[in-house]
Amino acid sequence: MSNELKPQPRINAINRPFWEACNEDKLHIQQCQSPNCGKWAYFPRVCCPHCGSGDLAWKDASGEGEIKTFAVIRRPQHPSFFPEAPYYLIAVQLKEGPLMYSRLQHPYEQGLELVGRKVSVTFTDHGPQQRLPFFVLQEDSGAAVV
Amino acid sequence: MSNFDKVYIVGAGQTKYEKKTDKHVIRLMWEAADLALQNAGLQWSDVDGLGQTCFTLAPENVTTVAEHFGIECRFLFQGLYGGASGCIGMHHAARAIQAGDADCVIILAADAFNVDSHMNMNRSAGQHDYMGVWGYGAANGVFAMQTRLYMERYGAKSEDFGRLCIAFRQNAQLNPNALLRGEMTMDDYLNARQIADPLRLYDCVLPCCGADAIVMVSERLAERLKGPKTRLLSAGEMHNYPASDIYALSAGWETFSPRMWEQSGLTPQDMDVVQLYDDYPVMCFVQLEGMGFAEKGQAARLFKERDCTVRGTFPVNTGGGQLSAGQCGASGGMIGVTEAIFQLHGQAGERQVPDARRAAVSGYGAVSYGRGLSASACILERV
Repeated sequence: MSNELKPQPRINAINRPFWEACNEDKLHIQQCQSPNCGKWAYFPRVCCPHCGSGDLAWKDASGEGEIKTFAVIRRPQHPSFFPEAPYYLIAVQLKEGPLMYSRLQHPYEQGLELVGRKVSVTFTDHGPQQRLPFFVLQEDSGAAVV
Repeated sequence: MSNFDKVYIVGAGQTKYEKKTDKHVIRLMWEAADLALQNAGLQWSDVDGLGQTCFTLAPENVTTVAEHFGIECRFLFQGLYGGASGCIGMHHAARAIQAGDADCVIILAADAFNVDSHMNMNRSAGQHDYMGVWGYGAANGVFAMQTRLYMERYGAKSEDFGRLCIAFRQNAQLNPNALLRGEMTMDDYLNARQIADPLRLYDCVLPCCGADAIVMVSERLAERLKGPKTRLLSAGEMHNYPASDIYALSAGWETFSPRMWEQSGLTPQDMDVVQLYDDYPVMCFVQLEGMGFAEKGQAARLFKERDCTVRGTFPVNTGGGQLSAGQCGASGGMIGVTEAIFQLHGQAGERQVPDARRAAVSGYGAVSYGRGLSASACILERV
């Protein structure tokens, strides 16, 4: 069962630029082009969720953020993930603003307190045809959580 | 004072909750509805409206279920709000009956669920494409992150969630239809295996099979019925709130609760029983805070300072809730409604709260990107 293909993103006209950028190891998210807004959005949208403008542009994101909350997943929803469990599921507040769910990239210790830790994006294979953004802890970010 | 002075809830029905079933989910729906009609003293020929919620029914829907049952309907409601759909369906049906659009509406929910069907549900983009692809652990992962944030923000401890789970379990021990009736101590709770830290086994519902239903009627029909009757005094719903903040630890109960209480003419202190949507303990706390039973971040104190069992002064989830009775998928959004009606009608058996007249029921559901999108609640009073 564990050789089964992992659940894949359902690529469509809304999200194709995001997933294609992932395959070039780039984190692209959308920024509102309305002069009165300019806010960033993630997950991929057809319009700005802040102001309703339809004028969104795909931009290179910094790939940096801070962990807002996390969980240690011991019972994944799909058998393809079982060999990797337990692992850290993290909610990253990107520097640009939006919240992005991802995972901490190996290697890592067990029992980490991750809230408030700074992270940087990295990319990893997710089956033969898709790269996926994961995150690594920034070296100097431990002090924030004493 | 009330919005719905010519609308009555006159019956409730719940099938046996089972870990497995050979029955089709439409049969489960029929069984719960038939029990509710019998409970009310009504016939299928009286029914002219149907509302239903079910995660595993597609491509069937409320219209084809009406066809299957052979009922001609002037009002239909398809619950698209997960566990918030029970209260919302009642609310919409009450509007329809008050307006004269229908006389007798069944509101029901059902599913034949197990761990695999729970894990493999067909899910929205917010959940599947932007969480699931990373191996998020389904709802357990989503609510582990909400739970940790609540603990970080308000200083709640595992024991706080444990007290809630233990109180519900004690209620379940008096409910012959609850699937989890074994005694549970704090040690049992704390030492249970971890599922998605900080969530342990007893923070997670047991997926199961079954259905819940109620019957709502117009004044004209109610007049000929001899059994107990309950009125829907007020209700509210909110969706995608707050739009810009997944981690507000709210889904909007505080936005409609002041109006809901005002329309009911009652306050949280007037409630004899409270039925919360207990998919995870943390969401019970958030609902209690949103509806004004506790200050923000303080709901744990209710379970510390008061007895929240059916023998206590603040009975919550009097049948054991989803956490101990079981979660029949979408029926999780109706279990609180049926339990409230059983309590208000004096039909709750050993777990009856003496002379329960007033109930608050809340719903929550439509899990998408990091949270549930739909919040609902209603206030009920026996006539």
